[in-house]
Amino acid sequence: MLLTLINGMTLAALLFIIAVGFNLSFSLLRVANLAHGAFYLFGGYIGLSMLNHLGSWWLALVIGGLCTAFLAFITEFFLLRKVRGDNLRETLVTLSVAIIVADLMIVVWGGNPKSIPYPEVLNGFVQLFNVTIPKYSVFILATSILIGLLIWLLLNKTKMGMVIRAGVDHFEMVSVLGTNIQRVFTGMFVLAGFLAGLAGVIGGSYLMMSPGEDWRILTYALLIIILGGMGSFGGSVVAAFIIGLIYSFGSVHVPEFQLFLMFTPVALVLIFRPKGLFGRGLA
Amino acid sequence: MNQMTKNLIYTLGVIVLLAIPLIASDFLTTMIIRIMYYSLLAIGFAFLAGQLGLISLAIPAFMAVSGYTIGILETRGLLSFPFSVLAAMLMVLVIGAVFGIFVNRSQGIYFLMLTLILGQIVWAIVLQWASFTKGSSGIIGIEKPDIMKWRLGETEVGFYYILLVCFILIVLAVLALTRSSFGLKLKGIRESETRMKMLGYPVARLKWTAFMISAFISGTAGVFFVYYTGVMHPSSINLDSAAMVLIASIFGGVQSIIGAILGMSIIKTFEISLSGLTQRYLIIIGTMFLLVIIYAPKGLMGLIYKNKYMQSLYQHWYRGGKKDE
Repeated sequence: MLLTLINGMTLAALLFIIAVGFNLSFSLLRVANLAHGAFYLFGGYIGLSMLNHLGSWWLALVIGGLCTAFLAFITEFFLLRKVRGDNLRETLVTLSVAIIVADLMIVVWGGNPKSIPYPEVLNGFVQLFNVTIPKYSVFILATSILIGLLIWLLLNKTKMGMVIRAGVDHFEMVSVLGTNIQRVFTGMFVLAGFLAGLAGVIGGSYLMMSPGEDWRILTYALLIIILGGMGSFGGSVVAAFIIGLIYSFGSVHVPEFQLFLMFTPVALVLIFRPKGLFGRGLA
Repeated sequence: MNQMTKNLIYTLGVIVLLAIPLIASDFLTTMIIRIMYYSLLAIGFAFLAGQLGLISLAIPAFMAVSGYTIGILETRGLLSFPFSVLAAMLMVLVIGAVFGIFVNRSQGIYFLMLTLILGQIVWAIVLQWASFTKGSSGIIGIEKPDIMKWRLGETEVGFYYILLVCFILIVLAVLALTRSSFGLKLKGIRESETRMKMLGYPVARLKWTAFMISAFISGTAGVFFVYYTGVMHPSSINLDSAAMVLIASIFGGVQSIIGAILGMSIIKTFEISLSGLTQRYLIIIGTMFLLVIIYAPKGLMGLIYKNKYMQSLYQHWYRGGKKDE
């Protein structure tokens, strides 16, 4: 029971890192980045190779994130900019990027499930209020809280965040007021890619990495942003916890309908509150 | 071209199609059969995408519904051929109706994301509810009904002819639908949903009906798929196959179902010929798709219709000869 709860929280924290970048880039660019799952897996695989070459998990974490950020930069700068303005075409471009990257990953890293070994420091357990918790879970939770805090500070306490929040509501107006909105778009997309890569290395240690995992992660991220509301930071937090907990409790108690159960709250939200739990609805 | 030549061309076309299983090699016949039932999926996709401008990723989900219904009913001996197909199509309509309610209010990317999730739900149920659907090992050993094993001389032609007749009927029906007032209303919704609402059209019901029609066409593809391959497996309905339908249709051009069929033929031919060389043909297909999206958003048919004569044919088929908008 308690272990299931902790597992659920850990997964929720991981999903939050993935979904928050997705959500922000989606609400700003209005592009549902269907390559986000592929970015996640790409980061994980890069992390694995880096770990094998350099031997340091922490270095692998950073490099995995940076390489994915670079991939996101290429996607945004060279492909998405060509079709800017037509949201559907932009989304289809990300879909084809997802397919190409997914297939390239099979070529490079093969089709067998792989996993990144934990660093030495994070092996083992800690005692917290008479409860034994894997160190790794604590690490993931702490990381996601840190990332969440940093993003919250970025959004609410900096000039940049002001531009981003304004851009979510009305990017044309922001552009008229003299901000280079294209650069903000690129920055946000790259940030989302970086977070996806980071989550890929962390998730690659916590879960398995195999072809198909990219679509699974993408689906969870989509579930979270639809449940929490597009463009809502708080919504992503709450929705990530709902989805993570349903996932872990479902896999213990009703394994045959676990995925189905994850979709149910989303379906209910869509019927009764189409904007999502905390969404304001985007035009 | 006068009426006489036209009739001659049509007759010739039909004769060639009818004769294919008798004169062509087994390989070619198999390929044409595969192209035909996958084209049905592409038609289901293109109907929504072309008429309503909605990109659906839930198309293979309906193929799964009909295929799995038939598979489960027949392998457990609950129902046999004509009734199992009826039950399957009924099931498709029911599921299509429920999904239709979910997606009805959404447009654009939101519709795409919702259908992605709905498709994933079906895939998840099929994969995880192992006691019912056999999970990742798939349902095997679904036999063709006797009527599809009908032989003409040496070759088995029943399946091919039934598929051909259904295929042509569906193509003609969809062409008629796009020309009808129903199709024009859908195009109106595509251009401006609020304006159609203001003009007093039941927009929600029209969209819902269109979604059901698309589901029905995709369900038909499932029936042929399951009888032809005899296997129903979660991997044949996953997101990759949804993406494949999308890619093929948009590649060919979704504003006409002919484009969707052309696109599916090209992609399937590519897939079959490239899969002999390499397993990773998706890179090539993905790159081709990327180029089409960026440089020719209306697909191959969009390029072809720039030709004046082809444009007049397009007007004739889709607007009943009326040139003005």
